Amino acid sequence: MTQTQQRRGGGYLERPAPSGLADVIEVILDKGIVIDAYVRVSLVGIELLTIDARIVIASVDTYLRFAEATNRLDLYEKGGKDLGEFIGDMQEGGAAKKTSGAVKGVKKAITGGGDDEERRPARKTSSRRRRTEEA
Amino acid sequence: MTATTSTEHQHDLDTERGCYVYGVVAFADDLIPAGMAGLEKAPVRLVRHEAIAAVVSDIALERPPGRAADLVAHSEVLDALAGSTAVVPVHFGSVLADDEMVVEDVLAPGYDDFVHLLEELEGRVQLNLRATYVQETVLAEVVAADPEVAALRRHTRDLPEDAAYGERVRLGELVSRAMELKREDDASVLMDAVTPYVAAWSERGSGGGLDHVVDVALLVDTVNLTAVEEHLEGLAEAVHERIRLRLVGPVAPYDFVGGAGWA
Repeated sequence: MTQTQQRRGGGYLERPAPSGLADVIEVILDKGIVIDAYVRVSLVGIELLTIDARIVIASVDTYLRFAEATNRLDLYEKGGKDLGEFIGDMQEGGAAKKTSGAVKGVKKAITGGGDDEERRPARKTSSRRRRTEEA
Repeated sequence: MTATTSTEHQHDLDTERGCYVYGVVAFADDLIPAGMAGLEKAPVRLVRHEAIAAVVSDIALERPPGRAADLVAHSEVLDALAGSTAVVPVHFGSVLADDEMVVEDVLAPGYDDFVHLLEELEGRVQLNLRATYVQETVLAEVVAADPEVAALRRHTRDLPEDAAYGERVRLGELVSRAMELKREDDASVLMDAVTPYVAAWSERGSGGGLDHVVDVALLVDTVNLTAVEEHLEGLAEAVHERIRLRLVGPVAPYDFVGGAGWA
């Protein structure tokens, strides 16, 4: 198989540069090792609304939002494929074949051919809520 | 010296300078590019201890960091370094009194852990992958799959907002549960398609909105970066009718250094 290194031009994968403040906050907030610092500062004056807006709890409020979203639908009802079928299509598709060939190489390189050797269980961050440590 | 806060010691801090710590690297002479600037545009430099070094810059304590520009500077320094060397990011906003303290309180006591972690991270970078539903498509699936949802929707959609409250809550509850089941299924299918190609992964736990499917940090071998990106592009294309994929990075391995303080 020939290895093609060309970039796929499909553009289905969104690739934002993490330059905006919201993106940066999302990447680094509460991340990194915690050292016993001489001065530890809080995020003075940083807008954290973007974070709060994503917190969803199962509540009547949430339900009403779902109801509203559902009622806003302009329904075009159609038979859905499940996700596994889409991904199956990808692996059979001509263009995708090159990709999956390359990826098999990746898998081999990472795992040494075996499966899941280096897979780790997900780690939870200790506390997302901890953001101000001094008044 | 004991830890202080800027509020307790405002007067002391007015004139003091501190040492802002970005992260820890394996020491090398030419690691910091000429002219690299950090918070307050201060020159970035290394504080060495044996084979490792802290990446630091001087900072005036009269004005503690915490502004937008500081966050951006912190991440820019770390991400730039991560492109050329393994780096252990330190929590944003960590300031020590001086270089000696960086060695005595951070580098020396944590030495073995840093060395081990840096070896693990060598040649690897982090990508952040988030999957969200194309809401219209997935909600339409829910309506099509459940006659009760369809009936409630027909009943409530043309009524004013304050009418049929009970039915609206019931509709939302059913939709929410159906979405949760879809999310579990789709998240596990997506992760099965992604995890074989990465060295490690970690859930980012961002909560998630109505459209949330997956939010995960991937640790990727740099030599495989292009191939992994191509795989994800292919995956995004395959699922795009129902799910959007968004990839940020490469960035420093913020999610693969543990959250606890051991230094």
